[in-house]
Amino acid sequence: MSGVLLWVVGPKGNAASLFNLEPRTSKKQRALRSYPRVRVVSVVSAVSSSVASPSRSSVDRVYEVVLKQAALVREQRREKALDVKKPEEAEGLTGSDLLNTAYERCGEVCAEYAKTFYLGTLLMTPERRRAVWAIYVWCRRTDELVDGPNATHITPKALDRWEKRLNDLFEGRPYDMYDAALADTVSKYPVDIQPFKDMIEGMRLDLRKSRYMNFDELYLYCYYVAGTVGLMSVPVMGIAPESKASTESVYNAALALGVANQLTNILRDVGEDARRGRIYLPQDELARAGLSDEDILRGKVTDKWKGFMKEQIKRARKFFDEAEKGVVELNAASRWPVMASLLLYKQILDAIEANDYNNFTRRAYVGKAKKLILLPVAYGRALVGPSADGRA
Amino acid sequence: MTCFSICSRLPSSRLSPSNPPPTKTFLAFLAFPREVPPQRLTLPRNASPFRIACSSSSSSSSSSSSSSGDASGDQSSSNFCIIEGPETLQDFVQMQLQDIQDSIRSRRNKIFLLMEEVRRLRVQQRTKSVKVINENGKEEADEMPDIPSSIPFLPHLTQKTLRQLYLTSLSFIGGIILFGGLIAPTLELKLGLGGTSYEDFIRNMHLPLQLSQVDPIVASFSGGAVGVISTLMLMEANNVEQQEKKRCKYCHGTGYLACARCSASGVCLSVNPILVTGAADRPLQVPKTERCPNCSGAGKVMCPTCLCTGMLMASEHDLRIDPFD
Repeated sequence: MSGVLLWVVGPKGNAASLFNLEPRTSKKQRALRSYPRVRVVSVVSAVSSSVASPSRSSVDRVYEVVLKQAALVREQRREKALDVKKPEEAEGLTGSDLLNTAYERCGEVCAEYAKTFYLGTLLMTPERRRAVWAIYVWCRRTDELVDGPNATHITPKALDRWEKRLNDLFEGRPYDMYDAALADTVSKYPVDIQPFKDMIEGMRLDLRKSRYMNFDELYLYCYYVAGTVGLMSVPVMGIAPESKASTESVYNAALALGVANQLTNILRDVGEDARRGRIYLPQDELARAGLSDEDILRGKVTDKWKGFMKEQIKRARKFFDEAEKGVVELNAASRWPVMASLLLYKQILDAIEANDYNNFTRRAYVGKAKKLILLPVAYGRALVGPSADGRA
Repeated sequence: MTCFSICSRLPSSRLSPSNPPPTKTFLAFLAFPREVPPQRLTLPRNASPFRIACSSSSSSSSSSSSSSGDASGDQSSSNFCIIEGPETLQDFVQMQLQDIQDSIRSRRNKIFLLMEEVRRLRVQQRTKSVKVINENGKEEADEMPDIPSSIPFLPHLTQKTLRQLYLTSLSFIGGIILFGGLIAPTLELKLGLGGTSYEDFIRNMHLPLQLSQVDPIVASFSGGAVGVISTLMLMEANNVEQQEKKRCKYCHGTGYLACARCSASGVCLSVNPILVTGAADRPLQVPKTERCPNCSGAGKVMCPTCLCTGMLMASEHDLRIDPFD
């Protein structure tokens, strides 16, 4: 459960959109968007081991990952008491001065590219803030590899090398200063490597796919680019010690928040994505509503479209509700920022409705005033502690 | 002409015996002299790198061994990976120093030639495309340097708006001089409300009384100077902000990030397994340092976002990108 889920890294959009609760109106970001996607035909690499057999639905496969994460966290908690600091961690980046500089830079990058999210992180404790920044910067750098202004120079081999660097940094051998910040974060919090690897896998997927046949495929994609972020940040946010909910349920709620954010992103940017040749809506549901790709490309708001959008928004809201149940199980200090981000991002759905479901030409965004009002509302809701019966 | 074509073919064939590099086609294109005006080749600026390339490549081709080492990193672009990693140090590691120098020279030569090609292609592109708008146009606009205004909040400058700016500024200056010199004294405009004099105004505002003794010339000089200096300051600050916008935010425009392995120092402790034998009686030795394998002593590694260019949008950033600018 993490509000950090705001940073739903989506290669489908410009990375700024993820961490972004603010309107993407700046010219710079528009310019970034106009860059062509990398269209590299790559052979499908073996899907990550945790999501192996294709016969089960994506929801089940993703749930398995969640279970694994939860199990790892419990194991790590037990080990930490006995563990001696690994020798590789001592080598290399020993100078804490450089580390502090690295964390500061992470904060600068975060403030530069995701202002509202940055403001949200200011609501967290200083240690958590730095950790979240480090994770943000890694996710953003990964996204910019395939979706940034220089993405045309990136080959599939580059992603392999990036993954190798990820493995190295988890073993305590970071390559550059931003990797070092993440390596330090990873050593302080029980963050697992699998969500990071899955995110790289999501990037690879986005290089190949521009259409999603059913919600199952879309869900897997949302997991890769957004659910992983939730799983990455739960260890940082921390689960409340008095919480009776199972670790799996909290992770599930985090996953739900990520998926909800990504779906919101998708629903907001239908027009923009279509203009880039990408449609992130399930093809079978479109067909069922009597819509086709041409209708989307044409960009006309019809009654069929409104009906379709209503259903999609309903589903996204369901994910938000599921996520909200898990926020209360988090550490007391983390509940406010996470709840704030949840409410803020949920507002975007309201904005789409207010735009009369015209997500082709009009950008749905939440005004500053509304954002400010939501802060105390979020605070109030965050005061609620873990549920008495542990049902998240 | 022949020297040109031979030189341009030689390096490519020598360096990658197995797979023909994609640049071969470009070099072949350049070898045909039909659209190259002869005088270009005689320009000393252009000619000398060719000659050097010719001489060095011919000499080294005769003396070079199979140099299979360069196949490892030096081959066709499909194997090259732009992201740096801990093993990129091993690229080109088997090449001899002379080979490395020749490689560098030939690559720089190729870059130079390719840039010239880009320039000519852009000329053709402009002649063939009637309008340079829409999304492609925006891409070009980002590549070529625009003329942003250094005055904050003003839109981008063109010849027309520049003329408008001159007219407006000059008329304002003229108007103010006229107002101050002629109109105000004629109408006996006083500073304060209801025709109070300067001294009364100062007294009413409870400002220090010596202000009322200020000489008019001194006052106007100070006012003008303050205006000019603050304007210059604002414009410079705005300019810095504009330039910063073009910088890569991760490396702050330097193109490099601090190497984490050596903490930006360039040296690492050499990690050798401690010998067990005789360790008891030998005194502890000072740990030896070695060149950091990540950055090979540079202390910094490539920034993967801007690909070492330091710019937000990596481009070759050369004047030849847009000949019509």
